[in-house]
Amino acid sequence: MSEMERKAQALLKIEKGCFAYKGGPQILKDINIELEAGEILAVLGPNGAGKTTLLRCMMDMLHWQSGRSLLDGEDIRSMPASKLWRRMAYVPQARSAAASYTAFQTVLLGRSSRIGAFSAPSEADMKVAERVMERLGIAHLADKPCHAISGGELQMVLIARAMAAEPEILVLDEPESNLDFKNQLIVLDTMSALAAEGVACIFNTHYPAHALQRAGKALMLTKGGESIFGDTTAVVTEDNIRRAFGVNALIGEVETPHNIMKNVVAVGVSEGRAAGNDALQTAGAEGGRKTDDVLASITVIMHSNEHAALINNAFREYNHLLIGRMGLPHRRSEKYIITVMLEGPVADIEALSHRLGLIPDISVKTTYEQEGYIHG
Amino acid sequence: MSLRRDGRLGAAWIVILIVLPFVTAIIALGIGRMSIAPGEVFDVLRAALSGGHASSELIEKTVMQLRLPRIILAMLVGAGLSVSGCAFQSLFANPLATPDTLGVASGAAFGAALGILLGFNLIGIQLTGLAMGGAAVALTWLAGSGKDRGGLSYIVLSGIMIGSLFSALISFVKFVADAESELPAITYWLMGGLDKANYRTLSLGAPVIIAGVILFMLIRWRMNLLPLSDDEAKASGVNVRLLRAVTVVAATAITASCVSMCGQVGWVGLLIPHMCRMLFGNNHLSIVPASVSFGAVFMIIVDTLARSISAAEIPVSILTAIIGAPFFIILMRRSGGWRL
Repeated sequence: MSEMERKAQALLKIEKGCFAYKGGPQILKDINIELEAGEILAVLGPNGAGKTTLLRCMMDMLHWQSGRSLLDGEDIRSMPASKLWRRMAYVPQARSAAASYTAFQTVLLGRSSRIGAFSAPSEADMKVAERVMERLGIAHLADKPCHAISGGELQMVLIARAMAAEPEILVLDEPESNLDFKNQLIVLDTMSALAAEGVACIFNTHYPAHALQRAGKALMLTKGGESIFGDTTAVVTEDNIRRAFGVNALIGEVETPHNIMKNVVAVGVSEGRAAGNDALQTAGAEGGRKTDDVLASITVIMHSNEHAALINNAFREYNHLLIGRMGLPHRRSEKYIITVMLEGPVADIEALSHRLGLIPDISVKTTYEQEGYIHG
Repeated sequence: MSLRRDGRLGAAWIVILIVLPFVTAIIALGIGRMSIAPGEVFDVLRAALSGGHASSELIEKTVMQLRLPRIILAMLVGAGLSVSGCAFQSLFANPLATPDTLGVASGAAFGAALGILLGFNLIGIQLTGLAMGGAAVALTWLAGSGKDRGGLSYIVLSGIMIGSLFSALISFVKFVADAESELPAITYWLMGGLDKANYRTLSLGAPVIIAGVILFMLIRWRMNLLPLSDDEAKASGVNVRLLRAVTVVAATAITASCVSMCGQVGWVGLLIPHMCRMLFGNNHLSIVPASVSFGAVFMIIVDTLARSISAAEIPVSILTAIIGAPFFIILMRRSGGWRL
């Protein structure tokens, strides 16, 4: 494969994935996803829609009936296990993790695919494990047995174990389920930070709000085997939530001093209309796409230089909207303020704004001209 | 004197685990109806190694011909049963798993009982024991595994079934055995004892046990993957099916060899690994070597008591339980137990 072709391939791709358990109904029909390095994909759906099944099929723990998963264009099914699991790592739900080693020894197990059958971890392996635990802020747990730490801590240990494999793709099965408020935030922040460093993350979640706040891409599944994949803002809509979950929900925005976060509030169980009656649709396809050109400005305050490249990439991608740009380094505090002026379709500006909002540790706000933008 | 961070044993423990079995063995060689000082035992061993003869022929014969094969057998059986118990517990992620979980011990015991019934000599009994032990595992495997049924609980369940099947067969053999001569021999044999030890039986059983123990020592870090759930194990990038198969085959071969040489010795495979887990945690880097060493030491002590506390030989299974149970309970209460 030449360098050009390799570039054209998505890092991870599912093509026409279909799956049914033996004698059961078709759970997954024609699943198609694409994921690039540094992106986060949220998989949403009601209980029984096949979220975990999807992850297991994707990782070839279950076999697709038809269709395939591709890693850099190579069929995962035909890849040797040791090769696949150096590039991809799996974080199971904390409650299903049984074995009780110390946290450090558990993290070391993440190095398995790089350690020979007759060997034990080397100094270098131990350094990696230490570094990963340090990085995730759980170095103090190292010598505690895993049955003696809290659920949130165990989830972080399992993420550390996955990261010890130094993967390009992290697959997390409901990482924030069964955790309290604070631990949910820690786990989600960790995922955002890893993505900002270039790791592609796929996570199952019960919370549409977490998808909107964290993921650039989303895949929504229904019980009937329907699915829809695309940009999170286009997939996680009030209509689709009603169709997939049978819940009337409102998507609102909460303004904080440094950004605007989307939130989803469930209002009530949706009566009458069966989930299968009308198909899932991306926001743009409904005809109500916000195509009117408006003026807007986005202001970003960077608290460090760390994610400058991510921000610049986002602006470069939406270059056609830019009509002006101003950058001000504030030398004394080493912070950096960027303001861009934009003109273009509301939907595009929203997409850029959402994308910037996913980058950790920066402040982002978007202002629209008075006339052009009506929320909703 | 503790573990290193990655679960490896510290230098002090390594020395203890290597030295302890040999010291115990040398002391045990001197104990018996004829008491021999450790120094003399040492002289005999040194003479034997250098090809010469010790000063006293009687002492030499007692040590080299009577006691040494028995103590070697005790070391092998203790180490073998402990390490395979440890492997089975991790494989099934179940603290109650023992070398008999797959029906191995019952199968081997049935084979031996059959051998006695058919009037075979010791080697013959050993061979039928080995064959039936292997047959029991094969049956368990056939009954419990298969496409899309998977899951280790099926294997455990069918192991229990096959085990009880062979127990019934043992009862049947006892039932048809001659009550005057064969029945006592079978019963006594089933209670377990190392008195049949000689270099010929050892030469048949020892290589299997030694090879199995060495294999477990070599793959001991990788054994840490055994208790993980299927998906986690698969995501480690290691061929876990192969790892599990190797573990089952090795642990089974070790157990069948032990049972075929000295009958059913209960408890060791449960007691020693649990003791090691309480001391060292669950990391196989430490509990595999510890099980091997402590298993050998425990078995030498128990067997030495069995042959020396009374004029008549006491079946070793009785002693493993009488010594083991209180010791185990004390340890459990002091350490607060352990988890798998």
